[in-house]
Amino acid sequence: MANLTIDNVKKSYGKTEILKGINISIEAGEFLILVGPSGCGKSTLMNSIAGLEDVTEGRILIDDKDVTYTSPKDRDIAMVFQSYALYPNMTVEQNISFGLEMRKVPKADRDVEIQRVAELLQISHLLDRKPAQLSGGQRQRVAMGRALARRPQLYLFDEPLSNLDAKLRVEMRTEIKKLHKKLGTTIVYVTHDQIEAMTLADRIAVMKDGEVQQLGTPQEIYDNPANLFVAGFMGSPAMNFIPAKVVDQNGTPMLELAANTTTAIPFPRPESLKSRIGETVLLGLRPEMITEPQPHKEGQEFVMTTGVEVEVTEPMGADTMIITRINDAEINCRSNPSYLAEPGSVIDMMFDTSKAVIFEPKTGHRLDI
Amino acid sequence: MKNNPVARKTSGVSKVLRIALYTVLLAMAFFYLMPLVIMLITSLKDSEEVRNGTLLSLPAYLHFDSWTKAWSGACTGSTCTGISPYFLNSFKIVIPAVAISTLLGAINGYVISLWKFRGSDLFFAALLLGCFIPFQVVLLPMAQTLGWLGIASSTTGLVFVHVVYGVAFTTLFFRNFYQSIPGELVKAARLDGAGFFTIFYRIILPVSTPIIVVTVIWQFTQIWNDFLFGVAFSGFDSQPVTVALNNLVNTSFGGKEYNVDMAAAIIAALPTIVVYVLAGKYFVRGLTAGAVKG
Amino acid sequence: MNTNTANSGSKKTQSGRSARFSLADWMPKIVLAPTMIIAIVCIYGYMIWSAVLSFTNSRMLPSYKFVGWDQYERLFNNDRWMVALTNLGIFGSLFILICLFLGIMLAIFLDQKIRAEGALRTIYLYPMAISFIVTGTAWKWLLNPTNGIQKLMIDMGFENFKFDWLTNPDMVVYCLVIAAVWQASGFVMALFLAGLRGVDGDLIKAAHLDGASTFTTYRRIILPSLKPVFFSALVILSHIAIKSFDLVQALTNGGPGYASDLPANFMYTYTFTRSQIGMGSASAMVMLGCILAILVPYLYSELRGEKNEK
Repeated sequence: MANLTIDNVKKSYGKTEILKGINISIEAGEFLILVGPSGCGKSTLMNSIAGLEDVTEGRILIDDKDVTYTSPKDRDIAMVFQSYALYPNMTVEQNISFGLEMRKVPKADRDVEIQRVAELLQISHLLDRKPAQLSGGQRQRVAMGRALARRPQLYLFDEPLSNLDAKLRVEMRTEIKKLHKKLGTTIVYVTHDQIEAMTLADRIAVMKDGEVQQLGTPQEIYDNPANLFVAGFMGSPAMNFIPAKVVDQNGTPMLELAANTTTAIPFPRPESLKSRIGETVLLGLRPEMITEPQPHKEGQEFVMTTGVEVEVTEPMGADTMIITRINDAEINCRSNPSYLAEPGSVIDMMFDTSKAVIFEPKTGHRLDI
Repeated sequence: MKNNPVARKTSGVSKVLRIALYTVLLAMAFFYLMPLVIMLITSLKDSEEVRNGTLLSLPAYLHFDSWTKAWSGACTGSTCTGISPYFLNSFKIVIPAVAISTLLGAINGYVISLWKFRGSDLFFAALLLGCFIPFQVVLLPMAQTLGWLGIASSTTGLVFVHVVYGVAFTTLFFRNFYQSIPGELVKAARLDGAGFFTIFYRIILPVSTPIIVVTVIWQFTQIWNDFLFGVAFSGFDSQPVTVALNNLVNTSFGGKEYNVDMAAAIIAALPTIVVYVLAGKYFVRGLTAGAVKG
Repeated sequence: MNTNTANSGSKKTQSGRSARFSLADWMPKIVLAPTMIIAIVCIYGYMIWSAVLSFTNSRMLPSYKFVGWDQYERLFNNDRWMVALTNLGIFGSLFILICLFLGIMLAIFLDQKIRAEGALRTIYLYPMAISFIVTGTAWKWLLNPTNGIQKLMIDMGFENFKFDWLTNPDMVVYCLVIAAVWQASGFVMALFLAGLRGVDGDLIKAAHLDGASTFTTYRRIILPSLKPVFFSALVILSHIAIKSFDLVQALTNGGPGYASDLPANFMYTYTFTRSQIGMGSASAMVMLGCILAILVPYLYSELRGEKNEK
C-alpha cells in the first residue's frame, strides 16, 4: 500500500482551467472520495493521478515517489471505470489476467492470482464467460477483480456504481466497504452520489469548479460544512437555507423567523454575528433538526417550538417529510410518521439549532467560525 | 419494424392497393433484372441469332463459344488474347490495394478515435474532403508522380493510386466504427501496461471483424469497378478488366460481336456480383455507412 | 501486502521533472504520418498543382508560363465544354430527381411488410455492385436501334415504334439518365429503407393514436424526420453525377459527335488525347468548384451536428 500526494496540481486546456491547484494527501490504506457535480474536475483529477492526462503544473507523488511524468503503466495503479471497460473479446479470466500478462507474470502465478481474486469476489463460476454474457452487477465484479489481480499500490474508482440499479448499487457499496476493510488498500473513488461518499469514505474531498471546497471526514463535512455549496451538496434531502435577519436581543444576536408567528431563535456561537445586526444571513438547518415536538429535548438551550403551516407531506416510510414555508423559503422537516400533519393546517414543530450553521448569502462563506 | 402498424388493415380497398403495390414492386424488379437477363441470353446466342432475333428471343441452343472467345480470344485493340490477362491484372491490383488500404484505414481510425491529439480531428476533416474530390483534379499530377517513381503504366502504380485515394474512405469507415468503442477501454489497457500496438492488436482488432468485412468489400468493389485510374495510368499490359472491356466493346476491328461483348461484360462483373450475393448485407452497410450517421 | 513481481516495472522508472518524451507517446502521430503525407501531397498538393496548371499555357507537357485566366476564358468559349456543362445540368438534375423519386417510392413500398422483401431488395440494389462500364455496355446493347428495344417492339407488331435516342444527338443524354438511374436508384432505396427502419416506432404509434392515416403519417411524420437521409442522398447523387465518366465512355463514348460529353469526359479528352493540359486543368478546377459548392456546406453541417451531439 502506498500513500498519495497531490501537490498544487493545475490543469488547463487552452484558456480554460479545469483544475486550479489541488492539494490532497492520502495516507496508505485510506479511502478517499472525490465528490462534486459534473464538470467539477474530479474525473480530470482522477485521470491525472492515473497518468492518462498530463498535468499543466504541480506534482503527483505515489509512495513518496514523484510520478508526475511517469507513464500510466509504470505508476502501478489500477482503475475501475464507470463503463467497466471490460475487454469485449476476452473471457472474464483473460480480462483479469491481461494486466498480469502485460507485466510478464508467469502463467502459473497468473492462475493462482485469478483463483484468489475470483474467490474473493465470488466470480469463479463466470471465468469462462465473455463480458457480453454477464449482468451489470457481474461485470462490475469482474472490473473490480481485474483491478485487484494486479495488487497495485493504488486503486482508482471512477463512478463504479453509477451504471447499476438502485438495489444493486447499495449491495455493491457494502461489498466495496467490506473489501476495503479486508484488504486495507489505498483507494481514490470518484462519485457524484453524496450518499456513496458519506457511507464509504474515510475522508471526502468536495470539489467544485476545479477546486477542493472542503476535505474532511464524512461527519465533519456533514456537520461542519465549509461553505454554502458543501452544505447544500451533502445530505439528502438537502440542508434547509433560511434567510433570516440578525436581531439584537438583550445584547445577544438572534435570528428572526417568520412562520405562523414571528419569533427570534438563538444559535451557537452568537458572538460571530455581533457585527451583522440588522443584516440578513442564511441559516442552515438540516431537515432532521426540525421535527415534531420531542419531550426529552424540551427546555434545552437551542431548542424552540413554534407553529408552522403544512404545505405538503411526503411519507418516506421511516420518516415523513413535512414541507412548510419560513421567511418565504421552502423548508423540509423530518418528522415521525405518526405525527399528524394535514396539508393546510398549522402544527407545532421543534427547531433544534444546536448544529445550525450560518452563511453569508452572497458569497456563501461560513460566518460562524 | 415488427410493430409498425402501417400495413395492417385488410379491407377491400386496401386489398386492391396491396395488389397495386405488388405490381409496382414486381415491375421495378423486372426493370432492374432485365438488362442482366438480356446480357445473359445474348451471350448464349450465336452471331446469326443475335443479328436476326430480338432481345428477348431465346437461343435455340446454348452456345458457349462467345464466352470462350471473350475469355481468351477476343480482340481488344490490336491484341487478341481475350480479357483473361486483364481479369488477372485486376486481381493483381485489387488484392494488394485492398489489403494495404484496409490496414492503413484501420490504424488511422484507431488513432483518430482513440488516441486523439491536437489536430487529429482537423486532419480527419481534411481527409474526409479527400473522399469527395473529383479525381480529375489529381489525374495529371499523379501521372507525373508515377513517372518519377518509375511505376507508371504498371499494376504497382495502380495499386499505389488506389491505396492513396482509398485510404480516406477506409479511415472514415474505421473511425466511425471505433467512435462507438468507449475510450475507457484504451485507458484500462494502458493502466494494465499495454502499449499502442498491443492494445490495437489484442483488444481493438479482435472486435473489428464486421467493419473489416465492410471495408474489404467496399474497397474490392470500388477498385475492381474503377475505370478512370485504370484508363489514365495503366500501360498496355497492366490494364484492368474494365478498361479491357471498354476497348473490346468499342473496338471497330471487324464486325460487332454483341454476344462476345455481353459475355465479356458478365465476366467483368462477375466477381463483384458474387461478392454482393454472398455478402450483400455488408455491402449495403458499406454503402450506407458514409451516408447515414450512426 | 507483499511485493508482487508485477510491480517490478515501476521500479525502473526514474522520478524527476524530465518531461515525458518517449517513442510510445509519439506512436499515434508516427502511425498517422504516412496518411497525413498522402493527404497533404496527393490530395491538397495535387489540387494546387492542377490549379497552377490551369493558369498556364501548358499543352502537351506541363509548362509554367502563366497566362492568367486565359484558359478559363477559352474553356467557356469552347462549344464542346458548354455542351458538356449543359449535359451535366440536364443529366444531373434528371438523374437526381428520378433516383430520389424511385428510391423513396421503393423504400416506402418495401416498408409495407412485403413478402420476399429481402429478394426484392437484393434485386433493386445489385446494379450498384457493378461497374459503370458493364452498365454502359449492357444499355448500349439494349438501346441501340438496330438490335435493341426498338427492334424488339417492331418485331412484336408495333411497326412505327421509334426509340433511337442513342443515335439522336438531342436525346442521347437521356440514355445516360436511364442507365445511371438503373444503376443508382437502388442505392437511394437502401438509404431510405435504412432510415425508415430507424424511425422510432413510438412516433408512428403516437401518430396513429392521433388519428393520422398511413399516408398522412408518412407525409407529415416519417418523411420529414428523414431529412438528413434526404440530404445525404442528394449530396451523394450529385457527386456521382459530377464525377460521371465511365458511363459515358462505355455507353456513348461522348457521341454522336460530342453530343453526350460530360465535363469529366471533356477533361480527360483535352488533357490526355488532345494535349490541352492547361484547358483540361481549368475544366477539372471547375468540376472541383461544383463539388465543393455542394460539399462544404454539407460537411460543415455534418461535423457541427456531430459536435452538438457530444
